[in-house]
Formats: sequence, structure tokens, C-alpha cells
Amino acid sequence: MRHIIRQITDRAFTILTGTSVVLLAFALLVILGPMLWRGSKAVIFKDTVEFRKMQLDLYNRGNPANLKVENAETESFRKTVYETIDDFKHGIDTEELIDRTKQIYRQLGKELRYKGVTDEEYQRIRSLARELRDRLQAAFESNDKKVIKENINYVLRYHLDENLAETSAVEFFTLAEDFQQSVENIDLNKRQQYAGSLQQIEEIIFHLLGPRPGDPLPALTMNRYGATRWDLAQKLLDNLLWSEKWIQKEAAQPLVKIRVSRAEEFAGTKLEPLFGYVQNNLDKMLKPEFTVYWQYFIDDSTPGHYFGGVGPEILGTLLLTLLAMLFVFPLGVISAAYLVECASDNIAVRIIRMSINTLAGVPSIVFGLFGLAFFVLFFIPLFGGPSKPCILAASLTLAVLTLPVMIRASEEAIRSVPQSYKEASLGLGASKFRTFMRVTFPVALPGILTGVILSLSRVAGETAPILFTGAVALGPLPKSLFDPTMTLSYGSYDIAVGDRLAMMVPHNQYGMVVTLVLLILCLNTIAIVLRARVSRKLRGQ
Amino acid sequence: MQKGKDKMQISALEKEANIDHIDSVVSLGQKAGSGIKKKKPDCKCAVIKSENFSFYYGTKVGVKDITMEIYPCSVTAIIGPSGCGKSTFLRSINRINDLIPHTRVEGRLLVNGHNVYDKSTNLVNLRQQVGMVFQKPNPFPKSIFDNVAYGPGLHGVKKRSALQQIVEESLKAAALWEEVKDDLKKSALALSGGQQQRLCIARALATRPNIILMDEPCSALDPIATSKIEDLIDKLQNDYTIVIVTHNMQQAARVSERTAFFCLGELIEYDSTAKIFRNPGKKQTEDYVTGRFG
Repeated sequence: MRHIIRQITDRAFTILTGTSVVLLAFALLVILGPMLWRGSKAVIFKDTVEFRKMQLDLYNRGNPANLKVENAETESFRKTVYETIDDFKHGIDTEELIDRTKQIYRQLGKELRYKGVTDEEYQRIRSLARELRDRLQAAFESNDKKVIKENINYVLRYHLDENLAETSAVEFFTLAEDFQQSVENIDLNKRQQYAGSLQQIEEIIFHLLGPRPGDPLPALTMNRYGATRWDLAQKLLDNLLWSEKWIQKEAAQPLVKIRVSRAEEFAGTKLEPLFGYVQNNLDKMLKPEFTVYWQYFIDDSTPGHYFGGVGPEILGTLLLTLLAMLFVFPLGVISAAYLVECASDNIAVRIIRMSINTLAGVPSIVFGLFGLAFFVLFFIPLFGGPSKPCILAASLTLAVLTLPVMIRASEEAIRSVPQSYKEASLGLGASKFRTFMRVTFPVALPGILTGVILSLSRVAGETAPILFTGAVALGPLPKSLFDPTMTLSYGSYDIAVGDRLAMMVPHNQYGMVVTLVLLILCLNTIAIVLRARVSRKLRGQ
Repeated sequence: MQKGKDKMQISALEKEANIDHIDSVVSLGQKAGSGIKKKKPDCKCAVIKSENFSFYYGTKVGVKDITMEIYPCSVTAIIGPSGCGKSTFLRSINRINDLIPHTRVEGRLLVNGHNVYDKSTNLVNLRQQVGMVFQKPNPFPKSIFDNVAYGPGLHGVKKRSALQQIVEESLKAAALWEEVKDDLKKSALALSGGQQQRLCIARALATRPNIILMDEPCSALDPIATSKIEDLIDKLQNDYTIVIVTHNMQQAARVSERTAFFCLGELIEYDSTAKIFRNPGKKQTEDYVTGRFG
């Protein structure tokens, strides 16, 4: 009977351990999988001609001749889009039309004076022109088709007037004709609505295709190019084709969001064919291609992380991590050696031990504030350094943060060195210090390296301690230890709390986080390999 | 070697712990080594003298009131049941007991006329003069060369050629040279148990000590390794004062000239080996040696 129970418990134990391992692997997969997949999109994605333009302009990469050819190819397709929009606008943008009439009227006045007509004629023509102008304005502003027709017809009656021929007043008539034509198809009540939607559409086209050829260059770099990624373009296309509206489905219920096709909205107008056209020809306008943007890891980043890569961030994280480890390794090992070898078991040492253990649980933001108050404002200026956030202060803060972990791991490792080695060394006449350096420390090294591995992971990913002591969201590459730097952890935080730009660059967010994970993985692998080699040498192989 | 073969035979008989064989062992030992066992006139070995020496672990008694003198250039064995203070006394000689906290010492323990527990004692010099071999072989996890060169390196020998010479001499003295001379860079942990113990002896010899303390050096080894080490002890006794603690009475009888019997922290009897084993003065000694207790 007992034998069966033992068998059952054995098997249950095996199953339980197996299950927990599987669960752990599954959890890792669920967490890391999507992150890696989406982060890889920062490097491997379908780019567009806009991307290649940007690369050429900002980083001098790519073939200018090829790009010129591609640009020419997209020209014709884009032109159609612009023309369709312009066409429609003329029927809608009454403000512009009214301004135009005013301009024409003034122009006419100047021309008449130049021509040198008699006073009486001048007055007559001018008053006629004034009336035409006012009528046109009335037509433009009115929402009533009848009123419009009446005014337009009145204006057009004068279009053969020889007094107005060969002057700029001729344009009155073209405007009137155009207007009449476009007005046929439009539901005038919806004009206001159309204006709003048109603005949205123009903005989307601006994001898609960049500034119009001939328009002045925008000030911000990110506005100078259209959609640089195909997936972004697809998203913008979706925004173009569908608009979201809030409607009241049922009384006394919260508003519900629905999608309305814009093509339906503009049904019957000149703008209607735009949507189908863009949908079918977007690839000809943007020329998407698969690309591997490995320079992501080297490139400088642009404001808002809109373009570019995470090169400076990687450098910053590496600098901070390695410098912090440089500070904490000797400090931790020496403290641990003291605690194991030299400390006697009195109250003072017990207090020290308790303090170290407590320090391990302090929240990292407190370390950040401590770093600011102590290192930035007091310690570094004490030695003549500048009192500002810098790499030195940040890495010192990180070192203090990870010190308890290092001390604990080193203490365990040093304690586990067999007493026999110490006895043998002391028996040969070595002092305590020589014994530690030559015998105890090399044997404890694998355990100490475990502490290093644990510390590395923590230090590389910490954001709060470096917030006030050395991290900056955007800045030049640090030239000395007294400059602040960009880091991957702070950059991720910055994008996350930033403005709407974050939604435009989700790939950059994921990319930064994945880069951080991969960086920590690399550092850990190096440390693990080192530890394995030291271990093997100690075991005699 | 004739002596070696005899020793092998005796080892085989160890299992029976028969007291009659002790007799023959002692006589054999005496016969074989009798020519060499006389003290050489130019012997520079140190003399260990303890005067009312007591050692306490906190309140517990380690050894109490030990008064004995260990003669130079000879092998002295210390026997006794477990927990009787043999190792404590041995480890006091080179003050390796200092590693244990809360200990107390009374009396004097003199090495070459100087009290080792005096405040002015230079531990580094003391431990250079007094080498120690432990129960379990404990070579450092370094190469064979580095193990043996560790001691001389501590005491100021820096030149590579000098170190190489010392290493070779020590390994030869420890009868290990022939087995390891091809690859001194090999890790010491790759050697067998007996080889490791001989390496530890070589390591102790490398500092050119006058005294070698051995704390049950063969208890973790097989009989063949044990006999090799006993050969070694025999060879070394001309130049070194050797004190060996052992559980194995046959071993004590084989290698030593004088034997001390400890019991419950006190020195019961200290005399020549022949007398202790054939004709012990005290009853306790006789009980232990004949196997009636212990």
C-alpha cells in the first residue's frame, strides 16, 4: 500500500514540476512573442518611396538616380488626386471665391485708371463691376439654389459686355460658370459639413503623400515626408475611406460610435471618385518594398522618435550599465568580504546587515530622488564637477540601487568557499588578505558573477533612478561623463507618455522595448559564458 | 624495495587488528630503520615543547595540561580515541586553531624556544617553519605548479627559475615528480586522492619548513596510497620533525619512533613506540592499545 502511495506522489510531483515549467514557457511566449514580433517590425517592414526619400535626405543613403525615377513614376498618379481635390474645393470654398471676386474688382479699378478712360465711363464700369461682384458674393454665400441661379444668371447676362472685355473682369464670368456647374451636384445644406470633412481629407492626404509639390517646405522634419511605412499608409487609407461618427442609437443611452463610408458621404459630388482611386492606386503612389532597416540600431533619432533609430539610446544604456557595474563590483565584493571574514558578531555589524537588507526593498524612485539630492547637488560639485544631471551621477545612483543584491550574492558565494582552502592557505603562511585575493575570491567568482548577472538585468532596465540624475529625452551624443544621455528605458517611457505622436509610431515603441530586452539578453549571455568558463577552470577541466 | 614489500604484507593484515602482529610490526620497523633513526649530529630541526598547555573551545576543554617534548628529526605519533584532543593539540602548534572563534589558551607552547601564543609571534614566519598536511587532501583549484609554488611565492620567491626549481625539488621529495612532470599545468583537482595528498605534502615542503604536522593524512586514502605516503614519511624523517596524528595504531607503530597517547584531553602516556605498544606503563594505554576500548 505504501509503495503505491509513494509511486503516486512521485508521479504527481513530476507532473507538477513539468506543468510549472510548461506554464513558465507559455507565459514567456505570451509576453515576449508579441513584443518580439511587433518590435521586429521596426527593423523589417515594407517601406515606401517617402521612406527612401527621407533616408536620402537625412542620412545620405540610397541611390539618387533611382529615387528620381521612382518619384517621376508616382507623379502622375498623385497629380490626379490633387486635381480631384482642387476641383471639388472650388465649388465648396466660398471664402476663397469671395476673396477672388474682391481681388478682381480691385484689379479692374487699377486697369481702368491705367487705360485712361473718362471719369464718367470709369464710374459706370466700376459700378457695374461692383454690382457683379455683389451678386456673385450673394450667390456664393447663399444656400438656396434658386437664389444662386438667379444671381448667376444675372451676372452671366453681362458676359458679352464689351466694356468689360479684355479686363480681369472676364474672370467674373468663368467663376460664375464654374460655380454654377459645381453647384448642380452639391447639396448646399451640406456645404458646411463638406468643408469640415474636406479639411480632414486634405490632412490625411498630407500625411499620406507629404507636402504638395510647389508648397513651401514645412518646418518640422516629420511633416516633410508622407507615410514612410506601408502599414502606416494602410492605416491612413482606412481613415480616408471611413469616418467615425457618434450617433444616438437609442434614447437615454450613451452615444455609439459607428463607421460611415466617406464615399457615401460625398456621393454625387466630384470628390466621390477620389476614394476608389486612392484605394486602387496607393501602391503606385507610394511604391512599397520590403526592407531590412538594420541601421535602426545605429541611427540617431529625430524629434518625437518619428524617424530614425535608437543608436544613441543603446549607447546611453550601455554606458550607464557598464559604468554602474564598474562602481558596484569592487564595492560589493569588498563589503561582502568584510562581512564574511572580518566582521565580528556584535550589534554594529548586525545593524549594518539589517540596513543592507532593507536597502534592497527601497523603491527605485526614492533612489532617483536620493541621487538627485546627493550626487547631482552635493557630491559631484564637492569635487568640482558641474551640478547637473550627467552620466556619472546616474551610474552612481544605479550602483547604489543594485549594491544590496551584489553584496548578498557575493556574501553567499564567499561563505560557500570550503574552509579547507582557507586553512591550507593560512597554514602555508599567507596573510588573510593574500588568502582572500589568491584563494577565496577566485573560488567564489562564479557566485559573484551570478550577482553581476542579476544586477545587470536590473540596472539596464531601470527608469526611475535615472529620471532626474542623467537621462534626457532628446539630445546630442554625450561627449564626456558630465553630459546627460538618452537611454532605452527612458525613451520607452517618454514615447508612452508623449502626445499623439506615440500612436503614429507604435513600431518605434515596440522596437525600443525589444532592443532593451535583446541588449539585456546579450549582456547576460556574456556574463553567463564568463561564469561557465571560470567554473570549468575551477572544477579542473 | 624490501621495506616496501614488508609494509604491503602488513597492510593486508591490518584488517584483523590483531595485537600479536603489532609486535612483529614494531620489531620490523625498528630493524629496518634502526640504522637511520639515530639523531644526526648536524640536525637543525626545531624542538617542540609544551608546558602545561591547555586549550579551551569556549568552556569546553580541548586539551588540558599537556607537558611533552617532541624530539627533532624524528617521527612522533599521537594516538587516542575520537575527541581526545589530538587534532586540537596538533593544530595549536601552528595556530591554525585561530580560525575558530571563542577559544582560550593556557600554558606555553614553545617552538624552538619561542612561545607561539606570545603576542609578538610572527604568524607568517611560524607557518613558514611549520608545515601542515590535513586529513582530506585540499589542493587549491589551480594547476599543480601553482599549488606547489604558492607557498614560496608568499615568502618572497618571485623569479620563475627559482620557483621552478623549488617545485621540482618538492615534488621529487614528495615522490610525485615522476607522475606529474609531463604536465605541471594540469589542474590539481584532476589527480587521484593519493596523488592529491602527496601534492599537499609537496606544497607543505615547498616552504622549507622544519616541522611537518600531519593530521590523519591517510584516513581518506586507500591502502596502496597509504603505504606510499608512509614510505614518504620514512624518507622525510631525516630532515624534518614530523608529528603525525593517527587513528590507525598499526600506522603509528610502523612509522613513528615515539608515541603519545591522549585520552579525553589529557596526555596519558608518552614514550618510545616500542614501549607503548609492547609494555605500556598505564592501564588506560594498555586497554586502548589492546583494543579493549576506543
